[in-house]
Amino acid sequence: MYLLLRDLYRTRREVGLRRPPRPSSLAVRHVDAGSCNGCEHELTAAAGPHYDLSRFGLSITASPRHADVLLITGPVTVHMRTALLRAYEAMPEPRIVAALGNCALGLGVIASADSLAGPVEDLLPVSVRIAGCPPTPQQIIDGLEPLLNASTVR
Amino acid sequence: MTEGGWPANAELVASTDEAEIRRVPPHAWRDTVSFLIRSGHTFCDLHVTGPTEAVELRAAFMRDGRFQMITCRPDPGRAPTIVDLVPAADWDEREAAELGRLVFADRTIRPLTAHPEQLERWTTSVRGRDTHQVAVGPIHAGVIESGHFRFHVVGERILHLDLRLFYKQRGLERAAVGRTLSEACAVAQRACAACAVANSVAYAQACEQALGMAPTPELSRSRTLLLELERLYNHLNDIGAACAGVGFAAGNMVFATLKERAQRVNLSLTGHRFLFDSVQVMRSDIEIVEQTSLAARRELREIRLAADRAWHEVLFHGSVQNRFHGVGVISTAEASALGTVGPVSRASGVQHDARSSSFRLAYPNFKPAAPVDPSGDVRARVEMRALELPATFELLDSLLAGTLKPAGCESATQHLATGMAAVESPRGRTFCAIERDETTITRLRLRTSSYANWPTLAVAANESLLPEFPLINKSFELCYACCDR
Repeated sequence: MYLLLRDLYRTRREVGLRRPPRPSSLAVRHVDAGSCNGCEHELTAAAGPHYDLSRFGLSITASPRHADVLLITGPVTVHMRTALLRAYEAMPEPRIVAALGNCALGLGVIASADSLAGPVEDLLPVSVRIAGCPPTPQQIIDGLEPLLNASTVR
Repeated sequence: MTEGGWPANAELVASTDEAEIRRVPPHAWRDTVSFLIRSGHTFCDLHVTGPTEAVELRAAFMRDGRFQMITCRPDPGRAPTIVDLVPAADWDEREAAELGRLVFADRTIRPLTAHPEQLERWTTSVRGRDTHQVAVGPIHAGVIESGHFRFHVVGERILHLDLRLFYKQRGLERAAVGRTLSEACAVAQRACAACAVANSVAYAQACEQALGMAPTPELSRSRTLLLELERLYNHLNDIGAACAGVGFAAGNMVFATLKERAQRVNLSLTGHRFLFDSVQVMRSDIEIVEQTSLAARRELREIRLAADRAWHEVLFHGSVQNRFHGVGVISTAEASALGTVGPVSRASGVQHDARSSSFRLAYPNFKPAAPVDPSGDVRARVEMRALELPATFELLDSLLAGTLKPAGCESATQHLATGMAAVESPRGRTFCAIERDETTITRLRLRTSSYANWPTLAVAANESLLPEFPLINKSFELCYACCDR
């Protein structure tokens, strides 16, 4: 299993696929790295009937192996560090890391320093930042939607 | 034994109308706990405090809204356990052992917040033909908080579930130490977005009790309003989540819509969809003018009608009800023994709601909703939310009558170094204790309703089928953030 996946990842990397100029869809994998659950509530709302994230071609996927975007909430606790990094490693390339909410951005965190391994920026290459405590569903959509336009990222 | 039945060596340290604090020698710890339980007190919390070389154990109990706290300085190598007398204290003692580096006598402690690598150190040993483990998490498939479940199964049947939470432990209790009483309110609030009001009201009340202050009627009204607004959007969310648990997307989406509308009411009244920063120690800054409250009452009446209609559909949808019925049963005896709180316990026939004895809040003559058939299964737990909605709508309507003004506290009783409070969050009784040095926090303990209920969830999973677990989980709808802190 591991060898097969490794070979597939190598192939993806060697082929060096570029993201199309205007991709029609992006799959988002969410990881809670120690949030207060506010960002999760609002992300769920963003996918719900009042906002409908999927009309933009943005879908939330169950596995990082199917994901284009890793959407991270929370300040990254010591206990979540390994799981977060493994989720990132499991993603096919090219991959985008998005930090959702003030905690993930290292702002306004109220926590004792020895419980934290973050912010996300210290562990992974963040290219999208969505501020707010928590960001509203509309702010989440406004933060993610530009990703569909490849020129805005990298 | 002395007057009232207290062990002779239980020394009264402080006493007010709301709380008594007693110091007992470690050898009398268990007798004192036995006495409290026998005399009809409910266990609320156990925690450690103080520096490593002089750790103290504290346990809190409550009866008719009055707290009894007992404290002792145990021998760190042989601390007295109460888990056989009060099974609900299991996680408390495990956490106390880690935090205070205590060894409890006659009790094997498995790690709780620490995450050792070796499986045998934190899982139950299950042997037998065809038994195997199914590991889930900490990252789950949906947009869900992080935590790990380890199921021991034979085929599809769950024999035992080991929970491993505290992936989200941010050290909030430690972060509060050294802050002023007012500043640390934000720390208590950030434990969880969905219970932000309940946690911060519990914290503010604990501080005010320690300071010898009582809320004015207007302050009580303001906080009760916030608590019920929080309960409303949470209960709507939880019914929707249960629909999602059986793949009934229409129910899930309709209740998501209602939750969204309730959160917009929150925004219109307090400026925040989750009511953040609306609770302060000793005061409330919220001001609601008549026009705003009228519009909110109108919208809440609409939401109530729509929620009634939607619940009726769920109630008579065969494919939903067939999945709800008889799944994940918690008996009344189990709920009592495990210290289960909130709608989950009431669905199992335990008639307790902290709102009945919240003298610092505006719940006059509150009677908890009583289900016709408290069968303790998924059906009863989901129904409990629907049964509690009318009281919340009624309370909101009367609390929003007229204008709401900023308010404060008035001097009531004497000062204490310790304060305690219990507040009914959407998920049940949340307990908060603070210790202070003048105006600085020296210890914060936040024992939330989710912390109280997680062990019950593991019991509800026993004997169920693996595919039933998401549904059982949704019928509890516990917070990870609240528990992990």
